[in-house]
This record gives sequence, structure tokens and C-alpha cells, in this order.
Amino acid sequence: MKIFIGESSYIIRKGIIQLLSQFKEVDIIKEFSTSDELEKALLESSPNILIINTAFNHEDIETAISESEHQPVILHLFNTQLPHDSTKTHLSVFENKATLTEKIENAIYISNENENINDSEELSPREKLVLKHVALGQTNKEIAEKLFISTHTVISHRKNITRKLNIKTVSGLTVYAILNKIIGIDDIN
Amino acid sequence: MMVIHGDIKMADLIMGDINILAIIQRLNIPLGFKEKTVSEVCIEHNVDIQFFIQLTQSYRDKDYFPKDHFLTFPVEWIIDYLRNSHKCYVEHRIPTIEKQIIELENNIQNQNSSELLLRFFREYIQEFNTHIEIEEKIVFPYTIEINKSIKDNQLTTTLKKRYSNYHIEDYVEAHNNIEEKLYDLKNILIKYIPPPTTNCKYNTLIFDLFRLENDLKDHSDIEDKVLIPKVHLLEKKLKKLKMEDK
Ligand SMILES: [Fe+2]
Ligand SMILES: [Fe+2]
Repeated sequence: MKIFIGESSYIIRKGIIQLLSQFKEVDIIKEFSTSDELEKALLESSPNILIINTAFNHEDIETAISESEHQPVILHLFNTQLPHDSTKTHLSVFENKATLTEKIENAIYISNENENINDSEELSPREKLVLKHVALGQTNKEIAEKLFISTHTVISHRKNITRKLNIKTVSGLTVYAILNKIIGIDDIN
Repeated sequence: MMVIHGDIKMADLIMGDINILAIIQRLNIPLGFKEKTVSEVCIEHNVDIQFFIQLTQSYRDKDYFPKDHFLTFPVEWIIDYLRNSHKCYVEHRIPTIEKQIIELENNIQNQNSSELLLRFFREYIQEFNTHIEIEEKIVFPYTIEINKSIKDNQLTTTLKKRYSNYHIEDYVEAHNNIEEKLYDLKNILIKYIPPPTTNCKYNTLIFDLFRLENDLKDHSDIEDKVLIPKVHLLEKKLKKLKMEDK
């Protein structure tokens, strides 16, 4: 797991690295002392977790992240006490080791979850919907009209469905759809 | 991998790779080889040794396909070979799988799934039969007629009557991947059907599907890479004849 730290204070950066070294999941840590450096790095690759001081330029950082394929979990680091409506993604330099450790642990957990979703061969709700229409024997054009999307999008959904399920033919997809109760056996003639 | 040549004993060759039996059957060679070599057996049963070796070699090694060499063999040999494989599929392989799927009913907990599979497979059989019928009733006879016309140096009556507007390109366009559905079926059986009560029958079915799928790939390869180019060549020659005929 890769973690980026955006923090201008040397001592705080080293402190965070010290905290992170408790986790065996963490194998790459990169530290950045300015917004510019961090932004540049984010354009090249994206980390699993990004710990960033609230004083950093968030707008630029967000644009840099939005380009990337995998969205990192972001932890915001406050130089002050935390506001009372703070969440588990908010860290404060005043917090004790146990609290910070727990919050980082949570971020690692969320990041792992996200990864599993990306890798999973489960169909998305949208893909299931397209599959349903395919299984009912509709053409790409008919599906596009019904779902208000372009035929091009239908085709790309179908490609993903076939890749995920490893089923190439329409009749194969129909069998899958019935087995998984996406359509009923009586829905086909 | 051993290179196949005429002096190997036929029985040893088959013992080394049991799949070669399929080719032996399609070339109408009976078993009971005793100590005879590949060339002795081929000569005895009127099979060209090179044809046998190239078929076997390419069947065994999926990266080996000597297209140019195949193109030198008479088209009748290729058609005979394809016809014999059709016969084996239609009369034996497909009905066996159908029977196995019917028997699944007592073997998987969910009866609906076995019904569904049977329905899927019966649909496939229909598609398969249509596919083969087109080849047997149109493509092969057409090929034989042009071949005969070229040999006799004049258009046969059948060719003029039945195939005046036919072109092998019509077949090329419609020739679909007949093995794709088998791939799907196999995959559905492995991944999505609730597990069977006994694995033995179920596994045999999956294994048979896998074998048939591979066999059909091989079969289509010969149609696509040998038969079709061969007919293209013949059609070129035919063009001249047609001009003269006018
Ligand atoms: Fe065929
Ligand atoms: Fe075919």
C-alpha cells in the first residue's frame, strides 16, 4: 500500500511516518513539503491513502486526484484542535498516538475495501440492467433507447459484462440471468 | 514434442497421444494396428502419408499449422475429412452430451437449472445442425462441382443450374464460431450452477464439452484456413472457364 504525506513541517512528517511504520500493509511512503511537489507527484501516480495538511492548496490537489483512475482515501491533518463535527478522516497534531493509529487503521481498511470493489467481477447495478435487456433478447439499439444511453455505451457495458462473467453468447448470458434471478424463466418465450 | 514420421509404429503414436484417435476415425482407418508403422497403415488404407502427418501434427500442436502444405492436398480429401468429423459430432458426440445433461436432473439440487441447461443445449443443437447442413448441402457439393468442372475443363450442369450465383464468400460471411456456446456452457457449469450431488457425472460432462469445443476449433480452422482459401483458388480458375463458356 502506497501513502503520500503532504505536510510542511519536517517534525510532523517524521511523526506520521513513525506512526505508519506500525502497519505491515504500508510499503511505500512519500513525503512532500509543498503543495506543488505533491500535485506533481499525484499527476504521475496516485497513492492508496493521502494524508494532507489543511493548509495545502486543496483545489489543485483535488484536480490532480480527479484525473487518476484510483481515488485515494484522504486524511485531513489539522494544525489545530479538531472541530467538534470532525470525522474519522480528520486528524489533529494534538491527538494522541492511539487515536491517530486507529484513524489510520480505518483508512487502510477503507482503502482495501475500495480496491476489492474495483477488482471484483461482480456486475454493477447498471451492468445488471443492461444484462437484463440483453437476456430478454433486445438489440443494442433497443437497449440504448430504453435506458437513454448511446449504443456505444451499451456496447461497452456488454464488453464489461462478457469480460467479468466470461460468457460470450446471448444465450449464455440468458442462462446466467435466469440462474441469478435477473430475469425469470417465463420472461423468455 | 516428438516429430511424427512414417516409420513410427502407429500404435505407439496413438498411445503417446490418445487424441489422435479422432483423426484415425475421420480418415476411416480401422484400429488393430499390430506392429505396423504409420506409413504401412496409411498405404494399406489409401491415405496419403503427408496428409496424415500434417493433420496429426497440427492437431497435436496448436501453434503448428502448415497452411501452404495443406493447400497442396486435393480438396476431396479435405471434404471427406470434414464430413467424417461432422458425422461423428452429429451421431455421437452431441447426443452423448445431450444425454448427460438430461441425466443432470437427478444430479443437481435445483431442477430449474437442469431444465435451463437442456433448453440451452437443445437450442445449440439446432444451431449446430443448421451450420453443418449448410456445409454439407451447399458448400461441399459446390466445391466438388467446381473442382470437377476444372478437372474436366468444362462447367458441370449442376454447377450451372444450382450454383450460377453462388460464391464461397457467402459462406465466409455466415460461417460463425460454432464452439462459442460450448465455451459458455462449460463456464456456466463450472462457475454458476449450484454444485452437483455427485461430481463424477458432472465432471465427465464438463470434460466432454471441453473436448468438443477444442475439436470444433480445430475443425473450423481447417474450414477457414484450408477449405476456404482452396475454394478461392478454384474459383479463380473457374472464372476463366466461365468466360469461355459464354
Ligand atoms: Fe464443419
Ligand atoms: Fe463450420
